Amino acid sequence: MSAYIIFGLLIALMLTGMPISIALGLTVLTFLFGLSDIPIETVALKLFTGIEKFEIMAIPFFILAGNFLTHGGVARRMIRFASSMVGHWYGGLGLAGVVACALFAAVSGSSPATVVAIGSILLPAMAKQGFPPRFGAGVITTSGSLGILIPPSIVMVIYAVSTNTSVGKLFMAGVIPGLVLATLLGVTTWYRARKNNYPRLALASWRERLIALRDSFWGLLLIVVVIGGIYSGIFTPTEAAAMSAVYAFIVAVFVYKDLTLKQVPKVLLDSASMSAMLLYIITNAVLFSFLMTYENIPQAMAQWLLNMGFGAVGFLLMVNLLLLLAGNVMEPSSIVLILAPILFPVAMKLGIDPIHFGILIVVNMEVGMCHPPVGLNLYVASGITKMGITELTIAVWPWLLTMLMFLLLVTYWPPLSLWLPRQLGMM
Amino acid sequence: MKFLDHLEEWLIASLLAISTLIIFVAVVHRYASGISFLQDFALSINMSWAQELCIYLFVWMAKFGAAYGVRTGIHVGVDVLINRLSEKNRARFVYFGLFAGALFTGIIGVLGTKLVLGIYETGQTSADLEWPMWFVYLAIPLGSFLMCFRFLQVAWNFRRTGELPRHEVAHVEGLEPTKA
Repeated sequence: MSAYIIFGLLIALMLTGMPISIALGLTVLTFLFGLSDIPIETVALKLFTGIEKFEIMAIPFFILAGNFLTHGGVARRMIRFASSMVGHWYGGLGLAGVVACALFAAVSGSSPATVVAIGSILLPAMAKQGFPPRFGAGVITTSGSLGILIPPSIVMVIYAVSTNTSVGKLFMAGVIPGLVLATLLGVTTWYRARKNNYPRLALASWRERLIALRDSFWGLLLIVVVIGGIYSGIFTPTEAAAMSAVYAFIVAVFVYKDLTLKQVPKVLLDSASMSAMLLYIITNAVLFSFLMTYENIPQAMAQWLLNMGFGAVGFLLMVNLLLLLAGNVMEPSSIVLILAPILFPVAMKLGIDPIHFGILIVVNMEVGMCHPPVGLNLYVASGITKMGITELTIAVWPWLLTMLMFLLLVTYWPPLSLWLPRQLGMM
Repeated sequence: MKFLDHLEEWLIASLLAISTLIIFVAVVHRYASGISFLQDFALSINMSWAQELCIYLFVWMAKFGAAYGVRTGIHVGVDVLINRLSEKNRARFVYFGLFAGALFTGIIGVLGTKLVLGIYETGQTSADLEWPMWFVYLAIPLGSFLMCFRFLQVAWNFRRTGELPRHEVAHVEGLEPTKA
């Protein structure tokens, strides 16, 4: 009974358009004041203790690092390196865009940030070369979503925090699916470009490639710092995030000199307010899941689903549909924070691996970011290209289909995500 | 008012910068302790407080940053439905959302004040830094009341100008479109 009230209230409040964090918080307060015997003072305490975890601190650090990289000329150099390597194939700059997005995803933990970093440089260049705007927008909107699959990833940190899984394992598990998805998106780009005979770049000489590599070396080194550092146990994920923020700052300001010291406070302020927004949703979501646990809702739901006779296969299909549906109206961090604590216990009971389940959720979030009405990547791309959302929706279809097929693969073939962490002896 | 705006911005930006540096120094320190010729020097500094301080700085940043976010319109909701309504009905929902925000943050502010007063009486201190906990928890009432004030401010501006602050995700300053 209380489950219906809680969810009914939450959904009703959310549909009024108020911030998700406020809707979560008000649902909890209403329930506590009216229907429960939890002492109300615990609420304020929970608001504090909700973010008193060291793992959560990885989020602001990764956001900060990402912002330094976006402003600091790292993206530009990665694009040049990528286009010198693959630009002469069918798809030219478009294919280079996929590669550059994958590279940038390996230093940034957010999808919209990847779209901004790569798209704002590459899309104008593609238009100048005579690519139809739809093609470029489709490539970058979807490839940008690699940002949350290839480590580091903010969504993975959030999943890890809300289900008590290891951030390090999740990061490693994201590597191979990320590379596979990048390849699939690249193949889609290549095929469509070949069919329509889009412009290609001249073949770059090895000398040019070497220069481009040397130029982007400082940015690429960060991949080693983050992934290598976490894997070898030199850093915890949070420390790796802090290191990469300091490193990105040094590279942007002192090595590439694309960012002046004067601009640094603005970058800090933007990152701080973005992180604070996420942390505010997290605190309220912690409050919400505290209420749910107190009312025994996840357990009841798990029992109900098991009684319904869903096997692992049926359950995963249902999870996919639910997440894709939720992806229509909310952004990833909120979805993970609200749904993961509910779905996770069921998945555990059905014997699904927690890491595999996390990767599946992340891939779902990627798809959700690329389709209307609220795909965040779409809005970002629409801001860059000045294309309407409807037109962009048509533009992303070929790549979105590829992503949906990839989602099925990830869902029903766990070794894709679990092989690498197992090989590395992490699990 | 301008002063409060600047103080807020300055506070959250520096909290983020300081905590990043602290973790950076703590990691460097940990590895310096393992290198023979730096060892004596490194071991003479105690860095065990770093993690705790970092968490407290973050909580302060999160609380005040959330208030700053209200002013800049970064707190997003599900606006698909209300955007389809007529201008007048949409405005009603906007007010409802803003006042709900003010109500929630106001209640949390009051609860937070009670909490701080309660902890003040127990004289509890933090584990590593031994700071008074009431001061650490002060972030909750202060941040919440500030946020409440920001919600009302946004509502007032919406009434006057009919505009809401919008956070532009796609806009990157200092990143001019250049040829790759």
